[in-house]
Amino acid sequence: MSNTQKYKKAFIEGLGVDEKIITDKLKYNDIPEWDSIGHMTLMSNLEEAFSITIETDDIVDFGSFKKGMDILGKYKISF
Amino acid sequence: MEVNSRNIKLWSSIGPRAAFGLSALELVKKYSDLMVLTCDVSTSAGLDRFRKQYPDNYVDLGIAEQNMIGVAAGLASEKFKVITTTFAPFQVMRCCEQIKVNLGYMKEKITMVGLASGLVLGNFGYTHCCVEDIGILRSIPNIKIISPSDSLETIKAIEASLNDEESCYIRLTGGTNNPIINKDDYKFEIGKSIVLEKGEDILFISSGAILSECLKASNQLRKKNINCSVVNMHTIKPIDENIINKYSTKAKLVVTVEEHNIIGGLGSAVSEVLSKKKNSPPLLVLGIRDEYSKSGSYKFLKEINRLTSEKIIEDVQKKINE
Amino acid sequence: MDQDQILKDIKNFSKDVRKIILRMSFKAGSASAHVGGALSMTDIISVLFKYKMKNLNKDKERDRFILSKGHACLAYYSALNLIGKISNKELDTFEKDNSNLAGHPVKNTKLGIDFSNGSLGMGLSLGIGLSISSKKKKENFNVYVVLGDGECNEGSVWEAAMSAPKFKLNNLNVIVDKNNFQQTGKNFDIMNLDNLSNKWKSFGWDVEEIDGHDIVKLKNYFDKKKDSERPKLLVANTIKGKGFSFTENNNDWHHAIVTEKLYNEAMKEIK
Repeated sequence: MSNTQKYKKAFIEGLGVDEKIITDKLKYNDIPEWDSIGHMTLMSNLEEAFSITIETDDIVDFGSFKKGMDILGKYKISF
Repeated sequence: MEVNSRNIKLWSSIGPRAAFGLSALELVKKYSDLMVLTCDVSTSAGLDRFRKQYPDNYVDLGIAEQNMIGVAAGLASEKFKVITTTFAPFQVMRCCEQIKVNLGYMKEKITMVGLASGLVLGNFGYTHCCVEDIGILRSIPNIKIISPSDSLETIKAIEASLNDEESCYIRLTGGTNNPIINKDDYKFEIGKSIVLEKGEDILFISSGAILSECLKASNQLRKKNINCSVVNMHTIKPIDENIINKYSTKAKLVVTVEEHNIIGGLGSAVSEVLSKKKNSPPLLVLGIRDEYSKSGSYKFLKEINRLTSEKIIEDVQKKINE
Repeated sequence: MDQDQILKDIKNFSKDVRKIILRMSFKAGSASAHVGGALSMTDIISVLFKYKMKNLNKDKERDRFILSKGHACLAYYSALNLIGKISNKELDTFEKDNSNLAGHPVKNTKLGIDFSNGSLGMGLSLGIGLSISSKKKKENFNVYVVLGDGECNEGSVWEAAMSAPKFKLNNLNVIVDKNNFQQTGKNFDIMNLDNLSNKWKSFGWDVEEIDGHDIVKLKNYFDKKKDSERPKLLVANTIKGKGFSFTENNNDWHHAIVTEKLYNEAMKEIK
């Protein structure tokens, strides 16, 4: 699975939504599933998918699908 | 909710309050007569999703704790399963008399969840900390008191309390990234403490998030050849007298550790048990020394109240050397 | 049923309640009793128990009664005795050792006492919980709560008062027994309630004010069909100690001993 596919899968499973909801434009709080609890589940899924531990500041900054990809770059995940 | 290592990690990272909120979503599916009552704290209790998804099972009484308990009792008298929640000092103290009359005297069965008890909200000052709740509630008959050690235990305790015949107060301590004490699924039973480590020299009895400091202390002491038993006394009332008696028999020192005043809480409860024995080892009660310190972060307050593993070790060694 | 007969029955019930209040107080002896506040609410409780409240001897869809001003329990126990829930023998144990009938109501569903009251300011919240339950379970019972006027000093009353309109509890009926006295004196002197009706109105209640000893007016009030979603509040203007010459408007009778002499005088008066 490519990193992009892994990333998308983490969103789908972490937020419990349909694939078509996950777009480039998706932001935190855009959908009811991406609330604070959904966010933590998403972070947990990403950590497991990419075998990383995301720092607290990055968890807070991770405000959108796009931004998240930038943040994961810090952890040497390229898309 | 499946108890697996991934979820245990998730629940630890979101902390006990959000774990409570998540578990409420599952509990209402199991118990359709569940009612959750709050005092304007949906988001503080991880209950925002619950509020939106199950509005018929959710009642917000606004910042009015006395009314919340009375309304809860009315619902409980009609056989609803009722959970009330707000920040611990307000959950226990603002409506204390209502708790006495409705839960204690009339035995209306309610589960009260006290959010952010202990020192975790230290930056807000002691109006938002709670180091008195156990002491106050212990003196009201017919109410069980549980202090879960981590997020998983929080989830188990809440469901167990719903199925108990008595009212329960569940005291949540710790915050996000709450240390994991229970790494795997296990059987949780109200009133049955859990022996986490066995050692003949010192008996540590603790509960709540601060238990993690005891485990750290025990680890360090073992390196100095001092072997400790560590007991998770998650239920403070009724306290597990059997385990205290069994493990204190050979111990040279019993140490209780709590995020609570040393007067009235876990330490006092343990002393009541030990005082009934013919021969019991000395008891060191560690906790808040009956004072309100300056405010600060959770970490800072643990330091100045001598509730870090390093300070615990210092105080234990001082006591041993007396 | 003939309206005149109904009114006659309620008046007789009320007379009987007053007799029992005095008898129980007399038998309580030196334990003494809260006579004044029981007598002021006697006509209110008579209209409720003899006439208005439904299914009192059933379990389902039974109207609920909460005596938030729990110290007036003599009126409550008397009413429960007259509807067959509390026996005469049980009444005689009032305030005796090991009794089920304490100086404030202690929950005992067999005797028809649903809740323990006495610590003022708590009954309305219970009533709200019951009313919400009734609506949720579609059980169609009404809830009646009697408060004291002095009791309205308690902040918890106003927490509850503020919340009831939110839940549209039109099955909740509260009566304030406004006898103008509290334990150590007049409300006006201790803690002035000012215009109590206006206060409740401003909290969103459907408020009326009538003479709390006028059985006709009380019956008419409870007979009225009220359409609003708002919970109901009746300010019943009453006389503390109503019914006997030596107790009326005499705050010494908030809590006092009924001697044999006084008891005999009282029974002569009420004949």
